[in-house]
Amino acid sequence: MDPAYLPLEWANYLSMIGFVFLLFLVWLIPRKVVYDDAPDQSLWRDIRLWATLLITFQLLIYAVFN
Amino acid sequence: MTASSAIALPRCKPDDHSSTSTAQKPTHATLHTDRANQLAICKHTVSSLLYCPGHPLHPLDLTIIVGYLVLITVVGLRLAGRVKSARDFFLAGRSLSWWVIGLSIIGTNIGANSYVGAAGNAFSIGIAQANFEWIGAIPAMILAALVFIPLYWKAGVYSIPEYLGLRYSPSVRVVAALITSVVSVFAIGVALWAIALTLQTYLGWPIWAGIMVTGTIVGAYSIAGGLAAVAFTDIFQVCIMFIGGLVIVGLGISQTGGISGFAETLISENPNHLQTYLPADHESYPWPGVIFGLGLVLSPAYWWAGQAILQRSLGARTQWDASAGMMFAAFGKIFVPLLIVFPGLLALVMHAQIEYPDMALPWIIKNVLPPGISGLMFIAIIAALQSTIDSSVNATSLMLTRDVRYVLIKNANPDNDLKIGRVLTLILLLLSMCTAPLIADMGGIFTFLQTILSLFQGPMLALLILGAFTRRATPKAGLWTLISGVLVATALSYAGVNMLYVAFSSFIYALIALWVLSGFTAPHPNKDLSRLTYSPWRRS
Repeated sequence: MDPAYLPLEWANYLSMIGFVFLLFLVWLIPRKVVYDDAPDQSLWRDIRLWATLLITFQLLIYAVFN
Repeated sequence: MTASSAIALPRCKPDDHSSTSTAQKPTHATLHTDRANQLAICKHTVSSLLYCPGHPLHPLDLTIIVGYLVLITVVGLRLAGRVKSARDFFLAGRSLSWWVIGLSIIGTNIGANSYVGAAGNAFSIGIAQANFEWIGAIPAMILAALVFIPLYWKAGVYSIPEYLGLRYSPSVRVVAALITSVVSVFAIGVALWAIALTLQTYLGWPIWAGIMVTGTIVGAYSIAGGLAAVAFTDIFQVCIMFIGGLVIVGLGISQTGGISGFAETLISENPNHLQTYLPADHESYPWPGVIFGLGLVLSPAYWWAGQAILQRSLGARTQWDASAGMMFAAFGKIFVPLLIVFPGLLALVMHAQIEYPDMALPWIIKNVLPPGISGLMFIAIIAALQSTIDSSVNATSLMLTRDVRYVLIKNANPDNDLKIGRVLTLILLLLSMCTAPLIADMGGIFTFLQTILSLFQGPMLALLILGAFTRRATPKAGLWTLISGVLVATALSYAGVNMLYVAFSSFIYALIALWVLSGFTAPHPNKDLSRLTYSPWRRS
């Protein structure tokens, strides 16, 4: 199939699916690994939360500008 | 070299996003790492617009410029006392905290091309240009933070070629280090030339003087202070870039009737410029190419294997700081389009009469910024170039000192690493300073080298992924996949295939080849690959 004929709206759908899949992957990573070597166990040091915030921003951006 | 740097397209009018666009089809020669474009960009940026004949430099501009140069030099030199070993020099003694790493990554990532080329592209294609900062960066940065940085950290390496050498073979290590290093010398030369041109047109300095002064300042703090000096000066440079960009945003918005006035004009006159993706038959940026080529191959290759970027992560005080630093940089990337894409849209809304899109940012500087503030943008462009130069010099010196020297010279003494690293930093800078004035005549060679580097990215990523996540990949299969993958990418590129599809195709080829060849070749001599493969579930 020639990719030139793929509908434009698929792009945003694919991006959204990709971001949700990435979110799933992020939360597959064990907590212990994320805190490995961290100075303390504070909640804000869980960088999976940072990743979740980043992915949420991305989902919003690609939802608004479609 | 930035994955997000834009491609300068020779268009004079905003693109209507149709398949009949007159945009130049991007090949590897015009890929995001194209420094040849940077030459043209800087030339036009600075020569045409920043310099206003007959207008003396505003005292505030002069204060900002002198203050910046003094500050950068003093901060860089003050960190020299910390350097006692090669570990201090190349990895800042593993002392960097997460916010220093994050800001330094952004500084290294944003080049002058990002500023001017991205604004020009935004003028042509709109917000789709921001894909280089969003889907073309952030997902890969998240995975770099959570997967690859912990992996490199656990392996205890100084560089990505060193990891590849441990995981595959010394041959792979030296090939990866050499290709990156050779291109880097020319890239540094181009950046030096661009700064010299900026200084010539803005301050009236001769080109040779601009090269000498810049080389001396960057050389002084890079050679004396190593990665720590590079990282801390990057912080100031990023702050200047963001302040300059935000001033443009603020003044631009106010001159176009506020946010609502700006948005209404843009939506009514150029509605297509608010689409994140362009049609699949777009010649330059078809959306399948952006998602699969940029998002799945070029961006991960840059963020997972770029030595200049990842070196500050390897210089972190803890693994957590290393990962958090990358994640912090990803937050910064969300806002980078405000600085580098917005000026292009602003020029469009303000109906800028410009000859070609890359004039968008210079037009904004000239027409939006008042006298006294334009010096800030001048410094922002210089800062973007300097932060790229110092990072490249330090990273290249590391790869030559350890990755190339350790493999090619038997019994190389690690005790000499600091001395050799400093000497090589000096030689690299001198080489780059010598090549800088010849850049215009050597454009063909440089484009060729850039092409080799970009053809290398798909196969390199395949090696990294299969090496990191499986124990199947073997040393011989790795080397042969790397070589044959580059050949496949070369063939596709010369057949005229869009570079985004070339990257994706060569990556898929390399994944399959590495998997198949590994079934027929001798396994890694080290049976225990747990230190070199990512296996968090087993470890937990």
